[in-house]
Amino acid sequence: MTKAATKQAVPIGVIPTPLYDRMEAISTAKSWANWAGFISPLVLDTVEFEYFAIRNQSTLFDICPMHKYRIKGPDALKVVNRLVTRDVSKLRDGRVGYAMWCDEEGMLIDDGTVFRYSETEFMLCCQETMYSWLLDTAWGFDAEIIDDSHTVAGVSLQGPTTFSLLKDAGLDAVEDMKPFDLREIEPGLWVSRTGFTGDLGYELWTAWNDIGALWDRLWAAGGHWGLRAIGAEALNMVRIEAGFIAAGVDFQPVHAAMRLNRGRSPLELGFDKLVHFEKGHFNGRRALLKQQQDGVRYHLAKIDIGGFKPADGSLIYHRKKREVGHVTSGIWSPTMKQNIALAELKAPYGKAITDDLWVEIYVSEEGQWDKRIVPLTFVDKPFFQNARSRATPPNPF
Amino acid sequence: MTNSSTYDVVVIGGGHNGLAAAATLAKKGKSVCVIEKSDAMGGMARNVAMGEGVSAPQIAHLLHNLNPKVAKELGLGDLLKGSPLPTTSLSADGNHVVVEGAMVRFADGTTHPDVNAYAKQTAQLRKFAGLLGQLSTKSPPKLDGGLTSMAALGELAGLAKLGLNVKMMGKKDMREFLRVVLTNVYDLVLDEMPDGPLAGMICADAVRGNYVGPRSPGTVFNLMYRLGTGGEVRMPKGGMGAVARAFEAAATKAGCDLRTGSGVARVNVEADKVTGIVLEDGTEIATRAVLSSAAPMATMKMAGIEHFDVEAARRIKNMRCKGTVAKLNLVLKSAPQIEGLSAAQMAGRLLIAPSAETVERSFNPVKYNELPTAPVVEAVIPTLSDPELASGGRHILSAVIQHVPHTPTGGWNDANRQQVIDTVVAQLEAHMPGLSSTIEEAQLLTPSDIEDLTGAPGGHWHHAEMGVDQILTVRPVNGLAHYRFAVGGLYLCGAAAHPGGDVTGVPGRNSAMQLLKDGVLS
Repeated sequence: MTKAATKQAVPIGVIPTPLYDRMEAISTAKSWANWAGFISPLVLDTVEFEYFAIRNQSTLFDICPMHKYRIKGPDALKVVNRLVTRDVSKLRDGRVGYAMWCDEEGMLIDDGTVFRYSETEFMLCCQETMYSWLLDTAWGFDAEIIDDSHTVAGVSLQGPTTFSLLKDAGLDAVEDMKPFDLREIEPGLWVSRTGFTGDLGYELWTAWNDIGALWDRLWAAGGHWGLRAIGAEALNMVRIEAGFIAAGVDFQPVHAAMRLNRGRSPLELGFDKLVHFEKGHFNGRRALLKQQQDGVRYHLAKIDIGGFKPADGSLIYHRKKREVGHVTSGIWSPTMKQNIALAELKAPYGKAITDDLWVEIYVSEEGQWDKRIVPLTFVDKPFFQNARSRATPPNPF
Repeated sequence: MTNSSTYDVVVIGGGHNGLAAAATLAKKGKSVCVIEKSDAMGGMARNVAMGEGVSAPQIAHLLHNLNPKVAKELGLGDLLKGSPLPTTSLSADGNHVVVEGAMVRFADGTTHPDVNAYAKQTAQLRKFAGLLGQLSTKSPPKLDGGLTSMAALGELAGLAKLGLNVKMMGKKDMREFLRVVLTNVYDLVLDEMPDGPLAGMICADAVRGNYVGPRSPGTVFNLMYRLGTGGEVRMPKGGMGAVARAFEAAATKAGCDLRTGSGVARVNVEADKVTGIVLEDGTEIATRAVLSSAAPMATMKMAGIEHFDVEAARRIKNMRCKGTVAKLNLVLKSAPQIEGLSAAQMAGRLLIAPSAETVERSFNPVKYNELPTAPVVEAVIPTLSDPELASGGRHILSAVIQHVPHTPTGGWNDANRQQVIDTVVAQLEAHMPGLSSTIEEAQLLTPSDIEDLTGAPGGHWHHAEMGVDQILTVRPVNGLAHYRFAVGGLYLCGAAAHPGGDVTGVPGRNSAMQLLKDGVLS
């Protein structure tokens, strides 16, 4: 046998996650997308069923394609604090924190979640590949960077009945877990009370080869709780309702942007509270401090738009004349019964100037195009907020 | 031991740039302390004792490009007295070529056939170089910020002037400038003259101190840049040691405190500002500003990598700084002779670079970490100008050997060190019959030794390769070109900063001016 034949070839094209076969078997839509090189569902059945399952029942979403990096060693805390803008020293062990990280100009490289196991071990979970950036960040420090993207697998279990489902699956140890808590509830099975839906939900993490069995275990307990597997389209609707931003949509990850000035800072995205200037130096701190003094160029805002036609991609005008921004993500929210969106406006619009702003929406009515100029209003809080998402212990159903 | 004292500014490193920075600041009324790790000031410009009664230039042996502005501001005018040294490019056939300014002759005074070509080319390069030279006493132009801020516009003026001046030269010159600026010196020179000692000299000067051969791209720029910052060499009375002493005296006279024998272990930073330093012996000194003539990497580590952006650390880590220059000092029982050279020529700069091709070949072994077989040698005999440097009628021959690897394969040992000495002595002896029998002592400093002695990374003559990717707005690295070194109050003031290497004093002086301009001390 030749040497080459003994080696596993690098797969060509998109590859299945360990959960692909299970999803393939129940998929009627056969609608797949490439997510970080993996085959990932856009819709498994219909987007409406999947959306309402997130808000009323339980849903499973395959998050194996997420990039996962372990930062381990005596200087792990230093490295993570050098990386992200928030102060991770204030994050307790067994907690997860939403975090952003920037380049030297204060422009967002990516956002994601930081899992703090201990002062010497963290996991970073994000959309973009970050291995070489983490190696550069850790250079000169006593910390090891391990790419766990293909060794740690995960599913996101989201919806109001998920706690009840977990109890039936024998995982009632999650009962006293607060939002953003992280716990190893069984050997090799980590649960974080996190998600991308703004609702009650959990993310379950285990070894790549064990994720199939975990899926089956949840699936077996799920029938009574209306469990459904979902794709990215329904998830995108709920994340907009929750006011969460998406990489490549509401901001352009600066390392992937090829044009000048496409980057946005956390301040421009409205995440001032996640930039902890007082914690000491972190990447981009000086640039962000300067931007804080000089003023930001943009404001990303949550807006409520007149009418019911989704405004994704629409331009925004001041006094119906001057173009001052555009919608980055927009949907009609079935739960809120509102035409909601995230929009980027050129400063000072969106902060100092919030009046007399209009969205120009193009609509096709069976092949005939029409233009609607509708007013917008700014919304401070997430569009969708529900006490059940934070209740501890979660309410049973 | 903790012994706290307070200064406005602490300067790390007592080389000529550190001293120039310190003197400039002290003259403006600031309290300044210079910290030198070794036991004496002067850095690469120091003299070293070689046995009883012999004081030889330890590393640098000629005064290259001392900036007249720096000399005037610091009262170092004496160093520029007298005329620049002639350069003699030695030839195996005895037809040595002597260059003095724009004039080229054979050693016997007869006309050199390429005198006009040389004069024309040098004049043009000097003209081009003038465009670059005027930038050196300024902080390098800053390009970020675009045209939207007045501050950025002011910065851009320097570069705009360069652009304007390039255009003002006229279409023909402008085209020529743009044609040659990034090309290699080998082609440039051999377009104008046949290969030989004159072409060899030009090529040797274009690659001096750098990890390049004359066929490497960018070497024309290096030559221009060198001409732009002066291009002359001098031998001050007292040798290079006198240069070190003059800078030291200027600093002392201006009121600086100079401390030797303990380096800086740490620069303390609080709230993104320098607050003080801690010496290796534990002494703590409070200060609002630190100017470091140490290399960027060493300086970054003193302050702590955590205070630098990831990109900055990466760029500093990836800086090109492979030293290629070794230094050989010989103590001789009697003065060496070269047939056909006058006393003034013997006391000048002697070059073994018989052709452009030999200079290129001299670069080959270093690429493979091999020992040189026929390196370019620049030799001077300082005792011919100042007999007091060696007692008992003895002489010193100081040779800069271009293209010696930092560490040859297998490392340095007595045998391969001796091999380098023997190679160079044999090259010299070809022109100086009987030289080897007059050698009393030989001392070789490899790039690795130079790194150990001075802290210059890679033992690099200029602390960092001088190349188009590491000069002007990108020296030492992109984003850190204005002497300001990330942390508030922390500045670079050594050869790794703009405008770079040689004994110009400009990085030190500019850094001090930038500190004052930034208002850190006000």
